[in-house]
Amino acid sequence: MDAQVRVRRLIDAARQIADPETPLGKLARERLPDSTGLSPAGVDFALRQSLEADATDAEIEALCQAATPVGHAHVLLSANVFVAALRAIAIALAAAPRVSVRSSRREGVMAELLQSGSDAFDRVEALEPRPGDHVWAYGSDQTIESLRQSLPPGVVVHGHGTGFGVAVVELDGAAELEPIAAALARDVALFDQRGCLSPRICIVLAERARARRFAEETARALGELELSIPRGRLSAEEAADERRFRDAAAFAFELFAAGQGAVSFDAGGERWIVPPAGRNLHLARADVRDLARLGQLEPSIVALGVSAACPVRDELRALLRYARVSALGSMQRPRLDGPVDRRCGALPRDW
Amino acid sequence: MTFLDESEDFHERVRRFARGESAESFDALALEIARFQARHSPGFARLVQARGSRLERLEDVPGVPCDTFRLARVALHPPELDEVRFTTSGTTGAPGVHSMRTTRTYRELSLRSGAHALKAWSGSAVVAALARPPGRPATSSLGFMMRAMFEEFDGRGSERWLVHEHGVDVLGLEAAVRTARERGEPLLVLATAFALVALLDSLGGRSLNAPLGSTLMQTGGFKGKTREVAPEALCASVASAFGIARSRVIGEYGMTELTSQLYESSEAPGIYREPRWLRVIPVDPATLDPVSAGEIGIARIVDLGNVDSAVVVVAEDLVRRRGAGIELCGRRSGAPPRGCSLALESLLVGA
Repeated sequence: MDAQVRVRRLIDAARQIADPETPLGKLARERLPDSTGLSPAGVDFALRQSLEADATDAEIEALCQAATPVGHAHVLLSANVFVAALRAIAIALAAAPRVSVRSSRREGVMAELLQSGSDAFDRVEALEPRPGDHVWAYGSDQTIESLRQSLPPGVVVHGHGTGFGVAVVELDGAAELEPIAAALARDVALFDQRGCLSPRICIVLAERARARRFAEETARALGELELSIPRGRLSAEEAADERRFRDAAAFAFELFAAGQGAVSFDAGGERWIVPPAGRNLHLARADVRDLARLGQLEPSIVALGVSAACPVRDELRALLRYARVSALGSMQRPRLDGPVDRRCGALPRDW
Repeated sequence: MTFLDESEDFHERVRRFARGESAESFDALALEIARFQARHSPGFARLVQARGSRLERLEDVPGVPCDTFRLARVALHPPELDEVRFTTSGTTGAPGVHSMRTTRTYRELSLRSGAHALKAWSGSAVVAALARPPGRPATSSLGFMMRAMFEEFDGRGSERWLVHEHGVDVLGLEAAVRTARERGEPLLVLATAFALVALLDSLGGRSLNAPLGSTLMQTGGFKGKTREVAPEALCASVASAFGIARSRVIGEYGMTELTSQLYESSEAPGIYREPRWLRVIPVDPATLDPVSAGEIGIARIVDLGNVDSAVVVVAEDLVRRRGAGIELCGRRSGAPPRGCSLALESLLVGA
């Protein structure tokens, strides 16, 4: 079976999962809320918005052509973004006829559904790569590092670790705030902001009063979105981190309630902080010259959502070379063209 | 009454309370200070409002997360009135700053609790610090306290700071031991945990044979500066190295964000006693409600000494009530270790 056929079988399974009328689609909506912690509407939202079930033949062909063929590929999945299993496994299938997938302990349903719909890979309890095999690993930096240390020499690890998204919004006098805020709210709400593409910080290029109005509008948009797509459950640690963030931000900045989440607004733009997941956003007013500060965060920035004129976009592209740049509202649906995280390449085990 | 008059009055009342010269109740005084802070700190007023508190009971006073000291100025007075600015020792991200308008209360309270716990009094001991000199004015609250202890408990004008850029000054420490023996006085050693580990490594099993009645105050963690040693093992090794009983190795718990300290009980190792002007309440990290008796929570600390900053702070340290004291149970899991975080603390970009 050639690579494109393998990947297409997987994408076909994804289409079934995305369709709420198919048996797999029904099963997905029944089981994923429990395994992901997302609300049922949050699961459906993610399946409709972010699952690459509509990948075109050209994208599949390009994905396969870009892959370096290997004999046996191994995939370690993360629990944070359940739809990411599709892309992760597709990349492995593009490279290898034999693919072994180990799900996270918290979320194994998506891989199970994809396997059941495609029969294109094996699900395993433990990864046992041999020298020459490739491992695509997704998770925290610590998880990936401990995996790297545990593997035999000669295994090639493609590690995709901790990261987050940043939004940059330029508000000239004519810009309508509501649609920009609504698009930003969609990017924040997907996966309850647990993904590495999820925006946690929004830099607003505007004068103070207008930036503040945008913060209010974003909080309102998040609250409104929550009415149709409720936030799921937070873990005890997430809830504690959220409380800590909100109290500190209420003191240090201005804090707007945004449904169950919150938007902190720093009018002075002196502190850019990364709030915890759970639909919490830090919005800092800035001038164009302040954008260079994003360079300090570059190692952690996976995605950049932009609503700005060309000069600002160009500057950001030059500054954040590895981040995926997209329009606001599309941060969580990149094309199927390889890993969403472009920050690192493959490194041998003993690198 | 002006702000300064009011602040001075509170400082005086707190000092009187600490001396046992006041009939005021702890709760009433703390609540009055909280109301004073809400009147003069816009940040704290925002936090009070965000938490919907009416400041009617001490339990209603929202705790200021320690992170806040990194994000904003937590002080009622303007910067030009700062007598000292104590900074946190984090190695990444922006440091936290605790600005004090006056150090009189800090000095009196820290000496009072230190004298009680370390069984030291004016001119009673030869004092040595296994720490670097703090500079003038001190930017380290610990350094400030150690200097105050030199002045009070030794009082002969000499300051023995026995950590240099090349490590611990073992010869200097041995000279301090000899001086104490010649004077017939006990040795009081003030030390950070990582300096003690370095000392043990330097001694290579030799004993310093400190005079009878000598005491060692141990504080702080390791912050990656040296190999880590389990606390109890460190205490035992240090006691052996100085030739003193384990009960004379006294742990100190303090932080830059506080004015007051807790000391380990010499009768109950591992249990830290609160001075009468400070109270620790273990609380649930997400709800901030007190946990059940004997359960572990994060530390909500009411410190009357924090007149001009935050009378209630919330730390990420885990604590458990044990009889009349507090057991320290490490840092909250999920919360990054101080100074080496990858979350809220280090992903923070200052202007």
